[in-house]
Amino acid sequence: MIHARQLTKFYADLRRGQFVALDQVSFNALPGQIYGLLGPNGAGKTTALRILSTMLRPSSGSASVNGCDVVTQPALVRRQIGFVSANTAVYDRMTAREMVEYFGRLHGMHEEHLQARMEELFTRLQMNDIRDLLGSKMSTGMKQKVSIARAIIHDPPVVIFDEATVGLDVLVARALLNTVAELREHGKCIIFSTHIMREAEKLCDRIAIIHRGSILAEGGLDELLDRHQQRDLEELFFQLISLHDETEPVNR
Amino acid sequence: MRRPAGGGWNMNWQNVKLIFLREVRDQLRDRRTLFMIFVLPLLMYPLLGMSILQVSQFLREQPTKILMVNLPQLADLPPLLIDDHFNPQWLSDPTQQHLFDLLLTNENDTPATIPDQAATEEKIRRAIQNDEYQAAVVFPADFAQQLQRFRIQLRQRSGSAAQTREAEPAVPNPFIYCNTANEKSHLAYTRLSNLLRAWADAVAKQNLKDSQLPELAARPFEFQRQDVSEPQQRTAAMWSKILPFVLLLWALTGAFYPAVDLCAGEKERGTLETLLCSPAQRSEIVTGKLFTVMLFSMMTSILNLLSMGLTGALVIAHLPAADEAARLGVPPLVSQLWLVLALVPVSALFGALCIALAAFARSTREGQYYLMPLVLVTLPLVILPMGPGMELNLGNSLIPLTGLVLLLRSLLEGSYLAALPYIPIVVGVTLLCCLMAVRWAIEQFNKESVLFRESERLDVSLWLRHLVRDRSDTPTAAEALACGILILMISFFMGFAISAPANFGDYFKIIVVTQLVVVLTPAALMTVMFTRSPKQTLLLRWPVWWTLSAAVLLAVAFEPIILVLRVAVEQLYPLSPAAVAVQESMQKALGEAPNLGWVILLLGLVPAICEELAFRGFILSGFRHLGHKWRAIVLSSLFFAITHWMFQQSVIACLLGAVIAFIAVQTGSIVPGMLFHFTHNSLLLISAEFSEQPRFQKFFIWLSEKQYIYSWWIFGMGVIVTCLLLLKFGSLSYRKTEEEALQEAIDRQVAEVPG
Repeated sequence: MIHARQLTKFYADLRRGQFVALDQVSFNALPGQIYGLLGPNGAGKTTALRILSTMLRPSSGSASVNGCDVVTQPALVRRQIGFVSANTAVYDRMTAREMVEYFGRLHGMHEEHLQARMEELFTRLQMNDIRDLLGSKMSTGMKQKVSIARAIIHDPPVVIFDEATVGLDVLVARALLNTVAELREHGKCIIFSTHIMREAEKLCDRIAIIHRGSILAEGGLDELLDRHQQRDLEELFFQLISLHDETEPVNR
Repeated sequence: MRRPAGGGWNMNWQNVKLIFLREVRDQLRDRRTLFMIFVLPLLMYPLLGMSILQVSQFLREQPTKILMVNLPQLADLPPLLIDDHFNPQWLSDPTQQHLFDLLLTNENDTPATIPDQAATEEKIRRAIQNDEYQAAVVFPADFAQQLQRFRIQLRQRSGSAAQTREAEPAVPNPFIYCNTANEKSHLAYTRLSNLLRAWADAVAKQNLKDSQLPELAARPFEFQRQDVSEPQQRTAAMWSKILPFVLLLWALTGAFYPAVDLCAGEKERGTLETLLCSPAQRSEIVTGKLFTVMLFSMMTSILNLLSMGLTGALVIAHLPAADEAARLGVPPLVSQLWLVLALVPVSALFGALCIALAAFARSTREGQYYLMPLVLVTLPLVILPMGPGMELNLGNSLIPLTGLVLLLRSLLEGSYLAALPYIPIVVGVTLLCCLMAVRWAIEQFNKESVLFRESERLDVSLWLRHLVRDRSDTPTAAEALACGILILMISFFMGFAISAPANFGDYFKIIVVTQLVVVLTPAALMTVMFTRSPKQTLLLRWPVWWTLSAAVLLAVAFEPIILVLRVAVEQLYPLSPAAVAVQESMQKALGEAPNLGWVILLLGLVPAICEELAFRGFILSGFRHLGHKWRAIVLSSLFFAITHWMFQQSVIACLLGAVIAFIAVQTGSIVPGMLFHFTHNSLLLISAEFSEQPRFQKFFIWLSEKQYIYSWWIFGMGVIVTCLLLLKFGSLSYRKTEEEALQEAIDRQVAEVPG
């Protein structure tokens, strides 16, 4: 469903020179699976996911979503993904219903189908009481629900969550994780990026540990722990990062 | 269902409509927008009008102090003063008598007691500059005496049949001292000069009467004005001077603030990223936002004009000093319709410009800073039509905004027939500017560096080091732009240092230095510093052999077309006398060349090398990274054109530059372009040399003493051969840049709508 091959992205930074945000990252994500990108801040997770959602273009390498190339077929790719991140806000002066409806129409949904889908989503995500609430009046949790509804209104086969639990309290974060798990049960291909070990452990079927633009290790949780002889993900994470920092220069 | 989903203009208009409706609804839910667009105009002008009316009743013009020196006492002439005030007979409005506060010198002073003239002058100057009084009228000491002698002589001459040989006495002129740097003093001077002229006329009439000559001898007839305009036409003419300017200003203001909110504001609020990952293409997003900005620009303009017009007309009519001319009334309905119609392209143009600038800003505060440069660029174009002698003609109608203002003025004045031929031109130019502005706005939305721009601390040395360290094989578009601007700036300042050549030797040095220092050096230095592959940058590769001869042949075939275009351009924009003088001095210097070969070397070979390396080498290579071959060709040609400075030459140079750039792109080599350039320049010189010779007359047609073109059969052949050769060059498969290849791939993609 999602195939990334040797994805590289570099920026020209005045101080650091050519700064490599992603360095030949490759991974595959399949339907009915949650693929986790686990890494600290600045690891390159957002860059990778922005490339997949066509907001950025890779400097080299390629990626495809459901057979469509992210560089040469961006419009097709955007029709097939839903993207939720800490940076995707809701409109202050739109109600939840208006916002979800707006994005549904942008996806070309027919009116009847759109209304039916909205009913279903609002019920599933327990949003009926905030249907007519303006974005400016919503709490963080409410906004996140609206973002999710907006992202999956068109029932895309691929859903991308980029640090979607940032700023959420425990209850809201848990509800979001349950929603993500439900989407997997519906056969969606999900990419979930986070820097919180617990989330990756609980949710992800496969995990890629990413640090300074490179994937340090990739596989199922048990597989990774076995391979690196570690008891838990946190220990594994620190082991890999320490090893990487010792062998690789800080700035590329 | 398949529908095209590429970049460019293949848009889903349903998405555009969705985005437009959402943005409009969003803006209308914003209290600040509602206040700025609806409430402020409805309140501001009436409040302003009320204030003006309230204040006007307290406005009283202060009298101006006038010093009168040596006032002449002429018993048998109409008096200048009555009871120490100006005779109301000499005032255009007798009620203004109280506006003059006269200070009189001692009437009994004899010439012996008056201080010498220089001292008096100095005293008066100081007094006026110190504002002791605003003006002074100084009659020379012997004024009355000389005037009386003149009148006696006139009477004697008229009564006697024999001509006297006695010389006419010179009546010394009185002086009016004033300070034109001071508004009050200047106004005092204007009133005084009118008053004294009226008195002088009366004195002249009295002289004629005393000489038993009719008063009409001085002015046997007078021209009388017969105004053929209707009152509403006069009203429309008054409004035509104000409304276009105000309309454009409000359209710009009305566009700017919504654009900043829709672009920079969305970035700040985080909703732009949400929109960017929707299926809407960048062009659809920009177009939807553009229509929103246009709507608010038009609404702002219309509401402000309505409110201002109504309030203004009412207030002026009720001002105490209002005369017939000031009673403007409401603009006629037809004028209002023209204004609304003109508002559409104006709002589109300003909307697109504002969106492009606002997209570049990281925040609303930064976006507001960009308003000033936009105003500085557009304001001169809007004010230019107000200059003396500016009228709607073919030349002026080609200037963006200026042509529109002039057209609007003509339409408001009711000169429809006169304006009709220029409507397509003005509309075409405005639409072209709109399209370019929209294109630029879409470009901004396609740039990652603009959408996800982070704040940086500017460090010039780091930045320069980065440019050199991180350079690629060919220059970036920004580097190409910088090179173009650098060439223009050096050329501009060099122009002040260079004087007209006295001989061929001077001329030779000027051209060589200009070409080497101004044109080639910046491009060469930037090539070395900012690119890794000078060969690729400057297209230093040998082309396919046939393209060399084709380039020469194309230059030959193009020559007749160029000459016709040159004549057309000079008809449209005649050379000024100064430009003609410069041309003549250059011709004279060229005439001193040892032979034609030297001239061809100087004006053919040197520019062919230097200008091609700069414009079709460095600059074109950089602009090709914009992703569109034709955009690169047009931009490089524009820079090439502007360096020619004389407008008439620039127009021709732009076309030539485009053809040469096209050849360079298609062949991937600078050499054919150099050959074309050299051949073209040489042919111009050769044809100028031989066109006057009788044995070549049959090849030329002389349109005037200095203008000639080739015979029409040569022109026809030239057109055919040019078209064929251009098609041949067009058929070459050229090496695309990465950006061009990517853009082509994106334009080709087709969106499958999920079933």
